[in-house]
Amino acid sequence: MILKPKTNDLKVIGLYTGKIIIGVGLLMVIPMLLSLIRGEWNPAIEFFIGICACLIVGFIAETTCQTTRDLTWAHGLVVAGFSWFLATALGAIPHWLSGHFGSYLDAMFDVMSGFTTTGLILVQDLDHISLGLNMWRHLLTYAGGQGIFVIALTFLVQGTPGTYKVYVGEGKDERLMPNVIHTARAIWLVSIVYLIFGTLTLWIINLINGQSILRAFLHALWIFMGAWSTGGFAPQSYNTFYYHSLAFEIACVIIFIAGSLNFALHWAIWTGKKKEIRRNIETISFTITMTVAMLITTAGLMKLNVYPNIMATFRKMFYQVASGHTTTGFSTIYSRAFIVQWGPLAMLGVIMAMAIGASACSTGGGFKGIRMGLIFKGFVQSIRRTLAPESAHVVVKWHHIQTRVLDESAVNMAMLIVLSYIGIYLAGTLAGVFCGYEPVQALFDSVSAGSNSGLSCGVTSPAMPALLKIVYILEMWAGRLEFMSLFALGGYVLSFFRGR
Amino acid sequence: MLKKTIVAFAVMMVMAFSPLLAQSHDRIVSSGTLVEKANSLDGRTVSFMGEAIGEALRRGHMCWIHLNDDAYMWKNIEEGSMLGGYNSGQAIWVPSDLAARIGFFGDFLHEGDVVKVSGVFHAACREHGGDMDIHALRLEIIRVGHPVVHHVNLRRLRQGVFMLFLTGILFWVRTFARRKRI
Repeated sequence: MILKPKTNDLKVIGLYTGKIIIGVGLLMVIPMLLSLIRGEWNPAIEFFIGICACLIVGFIAETTCQTTRDLTWAHGLVVAGFSWFLATALGAIPHWLSGHFGSYLDAMFDVMSGFTTTGLILVQDLDHISLGLNMWRHLLTYAGGQGIFVIALTFLVQGTPGTYKVYVGEGKDERLMPNVIHTARAIWLVSIVYLIFGTLTLWIINLINGQSILRAFLHALWIFMGAWSTGGFAPQSYNTFYYHSLAFEIACVIIFIAGSLNFALHWAIWTGKKKEIRRNIETISFTITMTVAMLITTAGLMKLNVYPNIMATFRKMFYQVASGHTTTGFSTIYSRAFIVQWGPLAMLGVIMAMAIGASACSTGGGFKGIRMGLIFKGFVQSIRRTLAPESAHVVVKWHHIQTRVLDESAVNMAMLIVLSYIGIYLAGTLAGVFCGYEPVQALFDSVSAGSNSGLSCGVTSPAMPALLKIVYILEMWAGRLEFMSLFALGGYVLSFFRGR
Repeated sequence: MLKKTIVAFAVMMVMAFSPLLAQSHDRIVSSGTLVEKANSLDGRTVSFMGEAIGEALRRGHMCWIHLNDDAYMWKNIEEGSMLGGYNSGQAIWVPSDLAARIGFFGDFLHEGDVVKVSGVFHAACREHGGDMDIHALRLEIIRVGHPVVHHVNLRRLRQGVFMLFLTGILFWVRTFARRKRI
């Protein structure tokens, strides 16, 4: 029997959603200030309108939904699912007002892509947008990488036991510390320390590469945000191909691989458990699947003799595969080069990398290394059980922060989530083929959207059908929140009509 | 006699078509064609024209510039151009003294110079880690760029003031409602 939500349920959902929307509005102050400092008056006004819209919605929600009730699991998941959608709708206001988008749907596509750290874009004439809008694009992806609620939790929301449920709803379930607020602050601490060192490194490289002091700094900051959050946004339409620098590429790879690691793993290393990096199931899984993806891609490139020497082949292959596997989406080749130069085999290597994706409780998307590891261990356990005598008790262990005994329910859960990902990848591919694209191309961009990677072979464009834009938005949303929040939101909407 | 006739004919043909052969370098190739037909154009001398954007990234006596030959090459969205899809262009490796002729690079505040370059196209450049590029030998400024004048949108400013007013009222109502609850 489905229970119809009561007024108090709606109030608690409305209250926390309102707080998150206020957080999104306050985040817009940063790009507005940059626009004001640089004399970009119209973008500053556009951000001001965006801030007011968020505050209006947030204040209405806070006024009408006053309650002292704490969040239940269902509330937490619904808040996560709904607030990401509402934040996308309101966060798109400055995008839409800028005049660089064909429709409000396109603007929402870019904001959802930013929040979910995907990196697919529909912005037109990116090379002439304001510094303020560029800052907003990258801030979205940086904030989305940590989780919108993590921001609200850090600065706006008083911690209650229930707040942990919204945190889980955002696709994160690691408690770095006993208290969820302290966990959120620890995530920010890790991110901000990396921000300082990463930006400084990229700034120096950009200065050596010939950029002016201000542009070198802003590009360093934005590229760091795009890399660390595994978002893949870049300030120029050429993406990271713009910089033509090996040092820059190496720095990016280090940052986006660091960003793709589990925050719990970062925290373990920070607190002195350095051995964790060698023992953790996710780093082992990442190393193996990355190697396989690199071999497939290299075979494809060598077969077609795409690059003039082995160094060029390795450099291009490694960057795109690492970018795909960490679900970053940075690229040093043209989108269409995947089709016209790389060919199907190399593309399949990148598709595999994107589909598997980064670590759980990181800024990345995809199946996640922990699930690949668990499924593999489950497979090993099944084989060992088959071969062992009936009376034998087969125990398989796995290590993530602590060593645990493999439990069937964890494997089943991992399988369920992986199957859900495969489901959205296939749904997006079908939609792409339905819209007239070649199956491999449709698969490439669909996996990219669903795994929040952001690499494109040219399917994603402002001219693509609205149906496909909507499908990709849903893929990005579902992929980032790892389905449960969306299922909960769908169930809640259904309960209004079918519940008692 | 026949031999002389053939030689004379060949010489005449070369003389007749030589201007066309020379001009074939001047035929401007689009960035779309360069990407789509990268392998067949690899190593060929091509001409390319587009708006210089971003900046010149200097590397010693050479530098990288980026030329966009998209719908915004002559007029960008900030100047009132219609939406015309993504930016598209080509990376150019050019001597710094040639690049120094470029006065304006396109960004939010500027419409960049429209520049024509001629040089050797590489689908995957051996010298630059497999980058797709043109090693330019000649550079010509076709149109000088200019700063973009942005007029403050007064209608939008009024909307902003109205929304500020609304936000203020709602903030007061929220604070009042909270106090009442306490």
